[in-house]
Amino acid sequence: MKSRKIFNRIAVLRSERNVSRKELADSIGVNFQTIGYLEREEYNPSLDLAFKLSEYFNLPVEMIFSTQPMKPLSVELKNLKGGNDERIAE
Amino acid sequence: MKELQSERRKALVINYLSFILFLSIFYLVKAGVFPLIYLSTNLLPLSGIVFSFHIAFGKSHLWKLTHSAYKDLDERETELVFKATTISYSIFTIICLVMIYVFNFIGFGPIDVVLAAFLLYLAHSLPAAIIAWNQKVIIETE
Repeated sequence: MKSRKIFNRIAVLRSERNVSRKELADSIGVNFQTIGYLEREEYNPSLDLAFKLSEYFNLPVEMIFSTQPMKPLSVELKNLKGGNDERIAE
Repeated sequence: MKELQSERRKALVINYLSFILFLSIFYLVKAGVFPLIYLSTNLLPLSGIVFSFHIAFGKSHLWKLTHSAYKDLDERETELVFKATTISYSIFTIICLVMIYVFNFIGFGPIDVVLAAFLLYLAHSLPAAIIAWNQKVIIETE
């Protein structure tokens, strides 16, 4: 079975937090080359690895991984905030 | 440092061709086609095997990867090694069968120690060779 391509923003999050591939890899228990494969979207992680990354970055899984090409994090947060404001206004 | 896939592929071709040349010279001498002195020419393919082995499997750490215990590999590496082993098992079976039939057909009888050693090397190197052939990047910087 051919699986779908999973998009992610690991590279952005990693550079934003000034973490090297090696540091991130050691924290979640994988080879640092696997981080490279994930960042280039050449490898789809398991659910376990996806959750480990989400725990590491302290973000929900859907903020890190998506089946659709990912928008910049700022746009996503703005949309999220906009939605919350609308709910408060209601 | 990014390792070149083309360099690795060339090394793989040289490695297996050197082995074929080595075996050809050995068996031609054994069959009496070439005199015994021709065995010394086997030093050339032998050095080719060692040199290309270093480039294809040593430098890229692929030998280590395919010979590591599963508990020491992460999920991507495990998947990579599993796929390569599955493919290499099929290839190895076909090569073994062909070798046994060819040996019987040309009258050499059952396979000898030299060919058995080659087949053993083939069994061990094929998974690494499949990864080396297919993977674009094997070594990368942090």
